[in-house]
Amino acid sequence: MSDQSAGVALEVEGLVKQFPGVTALDDVGLSLRENEVLGLVGENGAGKSTLMKVLAGIYQPDAGTIRLRGRIVRPQNVRQAVGYGIAMVFQEQSLLPNIGVAENVFLGNEDQFIRFGVIDWSAMHEAARRQLAKVELDLDPRTYTAELGFAQRQLVELAKAMTIEDRTRENPIILLDEPTSVLAQGEIDLLFAQVRRLKARAAFIFVSHRLDEVLALSDRILVMKDAEVVAERDPAATTAEELYRLMVGRERHAEYYRESEQVPYDPERVILGVTDLGVDGAYQDVGFEVHAGEVVALCGVVGSGREAVCRTLAGALPPDHGTVTLEGRQLRFASPRDAVAHGVAYVPMERRVEGVVPYLTIAENITLPDLRPVSRLGVLNLHRENRLGREWIRRLSIRATGPRTNAVNLSGGNQQKVVLAKWLACQPRVLVLDHPTRGLDVGAKEDVYALVREVSRQGVGVVLTSDTLEEAIGLSHTVLVMKDGQIVHRFDGRTSKPRQVDIVSHML
Amino acid sequence: MELNSTAGSRPPVARMASLALRLVRAGWLRDLAPLLTLVVLTLIVAAREPAFVSERNLLNVADASAPLFLLALGETVIILMGSIDLSLHTIASLSSVLAALWINQLGPFAAPAGVIAGTACGFINGLLYTRLRIPSFITTLGTFGLWKGIALTISNAQPVPIPTKIGGSFGWLKGDSLGFPNTAWTGLAMLVITFVVLRHTALGRYIYAIGIGEQATWLSGVPVQRYKLAAFTLAGFCAGLAGVVLVAQLRSGGPSLADSLLLPAIAAVIVGGTAITGGIGGVARTLIGALIIIVARVGMDSAGVDIFAQQMVYGVIVIVAVTLTIDRSKIAMVK
Repeated sequence: MSDQSAGVALEVEGLVKQFPGVTALDDVGLSLRENEVLGLVGENGAGKSTLMKVLAGIYQPDAGTIRLRGRIVRPQNVRQAVGYGIAMVFQEQSLLPNIGVAENVFLGNEDQFIRFGVIDWSAMHEAARRQLAKVELDLDPRTYTAELGFAQRQLVELAKAMTIEDRTRENPIILLDEPTSVLAQGEIDLLFAQVRRLKARAAFIFVSHRLDEVLALSDRILVMKDAEVVAERDPAATTAEELYRLMVGRERHAEYYRESEQVPYDPERVILGVTDLGVDGAYQDVGFEVHAGEVVALCGVVGSGREAVCRTLAGALPPDHGTVTLEGRQLRFASPRDAVAHGVAYVPMERRVEGVVPYLTIAENITLPDLRPVSRLGVLNLHRENRLGREWIRRLSIRATGPRTNAVNLSGGNQQKVVLAKWLACQPRVLVLDHPTRGLDVGAKEDVYALVREVSRQGVGVVLTSDTLEEAIGLSHTVLVMKDGQIVHRFDGRTSKPRQVDIVSHML
Repeated sequence: MELNSTAGSRPPVARMASLALRLVRAGWLRDLAPLLTLVVLTLIVAAREPAFVSERNLLNVADASAPLFLLALGETVIILMGSIDLSLHTIASLSSVLAALWINQLGPFAAPAGVIAGTACGFINGLLYTRLRIPSFITTLGTFGLWKGIALTISNAQPVPIPTKIGGSFGWLKGDSLGFPNTAWTGLAMLVITFVVLRHTALGRYIYAIGIGEQATWLSGVPVQRYKLAAFTLAGFCAGLAGVVLVAQLRSGGPSLADSLLLPAIAAVIVGGTAITGGIGGVARTLIGALIIIVARVGMDSAGVDIFAQQMVYGVIVIVAVTLTIDRSKIAMVK
């Protein structure tokens, strides 16, 4: 091998991965050096998770090469990837809770302990003790995994990943996918200390939304955006703000968000009031007001709790504490049925699974919440329903051959319009939009913005979470910043809109 | 610059197989295959037994198949919703026992009472399913034992005969109208009713919606649990009706009367083209599926296949039909 690849453990070139309707990786390349921690950051949907899964053998790329110390490898599944020395520590804790620690450490690799068809438990426990020692975890390997805390489990996962060390002559490559999302600060320090120790005999790729952690742990940082690697930075020479800007940075065009159409809301008319709202594990002490015609944007990184707040307003996540009032009346939000009955409409993030019902027609999707307008004495009038469908197709410029087209055959943007039509037909008082333009092309986004302006003019209160800060700023009257489950700042945009950098400083 | 490929020299069998597979994936199989199968099967059986297509025989077959068809209608409603009901046949048997026992006290009202009993059983199925929130497979597996046990207990594990000279509804069921057996008219009426319910009422619309996308339906504010309960109650009604028809046909009720009917009923639904995952299909498809099962049964009878071996055939049919029509995008992990 040439001198250039000396010290390079893993090299990826031209990686492409496509899913129906979306390109997740678009000509991605990276190189991972021996004994380094490479940080990988990017927004949701930028491609970080897909990249890791390709390296771990979970997905197979459509094009591109993966070179392991100069040798081209094509892991077809996780087992093969492990055979090459690439192991992943999963985000959602892949340990099985109902077995012992030793069994989890060697899950799938019990063969080495099997003698005459029977497992030699003492040998496995001995070996487990040695593995746990690698991460300085002093634990009886017979401990029931369910009894461990999150931090201990994460270390066990790390130990499990490190077992491949014994099976390959070269240093393992460990992929850490959001390992800290469930850990407290002290536990994170513990995890990082172990990773730093293990750097001597392994290379790591570290994916996280928490930019300060990535800055603390990594030797180099790559930024991904829109399925590509867009920048590389030295952590000592950059800041969280710069990283964020690289992850998200787009120019803000005032006309794109039709800011000229933004009308002031009536500060006397409070339509939605939230007080001391909390859901254990998601958010707490959340309180704010939405006035008729006001657009309130909730900003925050992953884990801030803003999506959970939206789901509570939708009735899909009943609160453990606090109250929600609509036009002054305190109401129950124990189910989506409650929310809809109170006039709160929810446009979910997962459009294909939660927004439209795929094999119902456009018209049938629109009438889903309330069939009364199209039925008489309990019998559905399908003609009237289709007429209604045609009307909404016209009003929202939905591109479809007719109201009888199945929703599954529409593009993402048109599906979103069907969801919006469904709710507008119910004349809601509050519209909760959870990442409403995710996956939409520019034209569809503009249509959504126009709709937001229109409903706001009609006096509907809008609560919005957005994929991008500038969309949130452009559309809203008020910006609420959430961090770690609480509202940390409120920006009143009535006189002047907040700057992205101001919001970011509160988010991180 | 390609090397001259040997295109066209793949064996015709391989090409037909790959064409068939592409059609399967395109969903054509679900739409066309059941009708084609029915036609082909009928031709085969008619070729062997020309008497099969005589008017008298067809009327007999229509009469004999009514209970199976009624059960299949009830099962269709449940399967469309994405659930399964493994207890419908025992509800039918229980209804038959109750109706037969009640003849003395209720006279002509014994049959409607039996149907109401079946409906109540369906309601209880639905209640357990929606309140306990455990898979319908498990709920109805449990109630299957429950209904069967109750039927065995109150009948002393024996058939319950009814008087030979009987009027009222049982008498009607044994008769004909306009030359067509009334049992078959009952099946037809139920077909029309369930068709209208599924296509033209809120209950039907939500059954489909829940079967296709329960999450989206729930988030749209639809009281999903309430409609699930209604669907199971409707299925119970169909099963109760099936039980009462059986009493009229066999001159007695019995705790095991409908035992052999569950498997062919489910097979009829699946073979007709209703997806086991729910949301796609309907009772018109079940009609074709039931006819396929019935013709297959006649064929097997005439070929001398005994009744237990016939159950094997239904089982194989269910497995093959589900494999070909299952929507894998819905079930990421097959348990």
